[in-house]
Amino acid sequence: MAVSATNSSRDVLDSRLLPGDQLFENFAKLIGVQDLGSAMWNSFSVAVGTTVLALVVCSIAGYAFEIFHSRGKDFVMAILLLAIMIPFAATMVPLFRLFAEVGLVNSLAAVIIPAISTPFLILLFRQASRSFPYEIIEAARIDGVSEVGIFARIYLPSMRSTMAAAAVITFMTAWNNFLWPKVILVNNAFQTMPMLISNLAAGYVTDYGVLMLAVLLASLPTMVIFLILQRTFAEGITGAIK
Amino acid sequence: MPAALLILVMSFIPMAQAFILSLQTGRGANFTFAEPLWSNYTRLFEDEIFKLTLQNTFIYLLIQVPIMLIVALVLASVLNSKNLKFKSFWRTAIFLPCAVSLVAYSLVFRTIFANDGFVNDLLLGLSLIDAPINWLGDPTTARFVIILGLLWRWTGYNMVFYLAALQNIDHSTIEAAKVDGANAFKTFWFVTVPQLKPMILLTAIMSTNGTLQLFDESWALTRGGPAYQTMSMSHYLFEVSFLKNPNFGYASALSYVILILVAILAFIQLKVGDKRD
Amino acid sequence: MHAFSKKVTMAVAVALPLTLALGACSAGGGGGGGGAGGDENTLTAWAWDPTFNINALEEAEKVYQEDHPDFELEIVETPWEDLEPKLTTLAQSQQFGELPDIFLMQNNAFQKNGVNYPDLFSEIDTDAVDFSQFPEAVTAYSTVDGVNYGVPFDNGTAIQALRTDVLEEAGYTIDDFTDITWDQFITQAEDVLAKTGMPLLSGQAGAADTVMMILQSAGASLFDDEGNPTIDDNPALDEAIDIYTRLVDSGVFVEVNSWDEYLGTFVNGSVAGTINGIWIVGSIQGAEDQAGKWAATNLPRAEGIDGATQFSANGGSSWVVSSNANVDLATDFLATTFAGSTELYDTILPTSGAVANWIPAGGSSVYAEPNEFFGGQPIFADVVRFGAEVPSNNTGAYYYEGRDAVSAAITQIIGGADLKTALGEAQANVEFAME
Repeated sequence: MAVSATNSSRDVLDSRLLPGDQLFENFAKLIGVQDLGSAMWNSFSVAVGTTVLALVVCSIAGYAFEIFHSRGKDFVMAILLLAIMIPFAATMVPLFRLFAEVGLVNSLAAVIIPAISTPFLILLFRQASRSFPYEIIEAARIDGVSEVGIFARIYLPSMRSTMAAAAVITFMTAWNNFLWPKVILVNNAFQTMPMLISNLAAGYVTDYGVLMLAVLLASLPTMVIFLILQRTFAEGITGAIK
Repeated sequence: MPAALLILVMSFIPMAQAFILSLQTGRGANFTFAEPLWSNYTRLFEDEIFKLTLQNTFIYLLIQVPIMLIVALVLASVLNSKNLKFKSFWRTAIFLPCAVSLVAYSLVFRTIFANDGFVNDLLLGLSLIDAPINWLGDPTTARFVIILGLLWRWTGYNMVFYLAALQNIDHSTIEAAKVDGANAFKTFWFVTVPQLKPMILLTAIMSTNGTLQLFDESWALTRGGPAYQTMSMSHYLFEVSFLKNPNFGYASALSYVILILVAILAFIQLKVGDKRD
Repeated sequence: MHAFSKKVTMAVAVALPLTLALGACSAGGGGGGGGAGGDENTLTAWAWDPTFNINALEEAEKVYQEDHPDFELEIVETPWEDLEPKLTTLAQSQQFGELPDIFLMQNNAFQKNGVNYPDLFSEIDTDAVDFSQFPEAVTAYSTVDGVNYGVPFDNGTAIQALRTDVLEEAGYTIDDFTDITWDQFITQAEDVLAKTGMPLLSGQAGAADTVMMILQSAGASLFDDEGNPTIDDNPALDEAIDIYTRLVDSGVFVEVNSWDEYLGTFVNGSVAGTINGIWIVGSIQGAEDQAGKWAATNLPRAEGIDGATQFSANGGSSWVVSSNANVDLATDFLATTFAGSTELYDTILPTSGAVANWIPAGGSSVYAEPNEFFGGQPIFADVVRFGAEVPSNNTGAYYYEGRDAVSAAITQIIGGADLKTALGEAQANVEFAME
């Protein structure tokens, strides 16, 4: 892939495996045809927005699932699992209708909101909370610390590594999310990286060198995030399965 | 519950609507309740293409998921060994495939497995075969390529989970096994693996779910061909919904069958996983 | 206390992310979609290729601005692969307000969408657009139940493009491949293969393109006039598949597995020609070192089929005025540009390579200019001439189902299956999908 980004379209079709000299030319073509900066920025806002909000929502949910004892919790958990299992193509049309009715079609919010609450993340946080000593919470309550305080000052800091793990996964999913954004977004200004790539391959004639360069650029952020977080990531998931 | 509310709005309302839709028939956007109500479901059993995609999906599931999980487990324990250098490099390298865009990965795979592609050149060069193999043109080898693609893309993802779990194993249990004279394999199998069971269960369920909803590989590598022989259920679902004459009632019924299959398999895995505890 | 703070936690937890999300992002909403929402001189359009149909739209905007200085066109880049699910989702959820004024549609998709979702379209006023200036075969795609829903844009007329240097090596010229039958083609192509080692054609295995082109060259299709599939009782189809099988078996047609590989075969010079819609020229010209070594002519004729001609088509697209459009403005825009401006077509031919369907455009001097890549042949004028002679056929609302089923059958037949059995299965699958 990296090699292809430096070659001309012709050489890519030739499956040439040596680096070429077309990198800058491809880059010039790419920014000439597509608004790369804006797509990168949109993808970045969506991915970061989703990640931050998803972490907030799902960590609270995971905490609530484990700390508060309520009837039917396991039942709700089972239903949550079911929600992962329904193919997206089936829920897409009703979801679209929903967003159209509240007037959110064609906004980045419409891309972010459905991705915030991911059952998989809630599961992860819930499992992580399992190992969290309940006595500490009891003690804090006796000391008069508010529920919000317990969550923010005691629970969250101990979940830092789980957070890192969840962040990488959410970021990657949000960054690569494709089918839904392309249906809900109808404006060039909101184009994300996967949409940009799909635009590049849409015509009768595809410049494969440029395409590969775009693909390479699109993969970089996830790699960087993984590289930064991977140490914490590995530890974070450990906490989750105790 | 806050998240539960969001999920309620974002997942269950659409899910419920999809279920109602699965009981309806009609072309375009005009729907009436089917007569009888479950006719979309009985129709599935008469659909030859659906049966084929069901069979394909289960072939992927039965071959790919076990191999992937075992390879991921072995990779994880190798990468966990203390005297390995550049650990973060290896981890990142193996995780990398699932961060790579589908467009690039499918183009690379198609090129490698082309008739005059790298794999055939290599095999011919080594005189292992006499004539180029039409990898993507033959049902068996095309499925093989899809499975290979799945392995390449998702092994690293699962490995990371195992790697994490491995950090958590009480090292003294392994030491104890060594003292007792167990070889590396026995230690791994009888000491390490049982302690990883919760994580194995989680990844097994997630992978089962992922495979039954498999779309990308079927779509990007082979377009389901030759002659539907590699098409997955979700790919067929997408075709029925968006590429052919849209029949959303039927498509919803199809989704619910996928959902039920995943749920049953997950349930069995949970039961089996629990029993061994 | 405990219960109270629990509730507060919940409330905050619910409210916070939602407000954040809505507040942060809804500012951008409502921009592009609704065509009718814009001001009176602005149109929104969906199209997908900046070097091709988007470029054509931009030029059309300039042409229209000459008489309508206030006019503006907002173009949203939407690949067809995305546009199609989008249309389906919009129609399915009845949110027609999100449609643009104009969008581009693949010709083969018109019947399907016209039958399933007539609410997506506005009828195109035949007083404004003179459809007799387009080949009948082309307007037939976008005519559903006698109503015109599309202004034809790019030309899908098929050409037989061959490498003259390879032909010459084997002792042939392009004239030897003009006005011939498929039998003659196969004999000569075998000879070329024997003398030069070069096959003349290639294509994606399991794609029905070639068979469909042979069918259309005789005005035949997979459906009868009532729209019923005629796959298992269709002499034209049997003959077309027979021709295809002979092409593959004799080695003059190389089957590859993907589109990129197909392009690779002639761009890399391992195959010495191709038969496809005129738009394939864009990819052929990607091989700059082959300049001057190509020539294009009409297709071989399928003698065994009644009404066979040397002309066919593959692909092509047309402009749709949506149901949400400023209909008068959108219709007038299309009528003055794509259905009425030689100037426009003369501009976009060199800039985007879009070949007109609009017959008057073919007569211009720009179209008659010799094309250096094709050895000085005025290839585009030739194509417009071919286009007028393409027989029209009935694509049918179930075109994609039929085509897929036949593709699968072809794969099986090439693999050695019995023709009747495979086509019977294909027929059953299409009938099943239509139930």
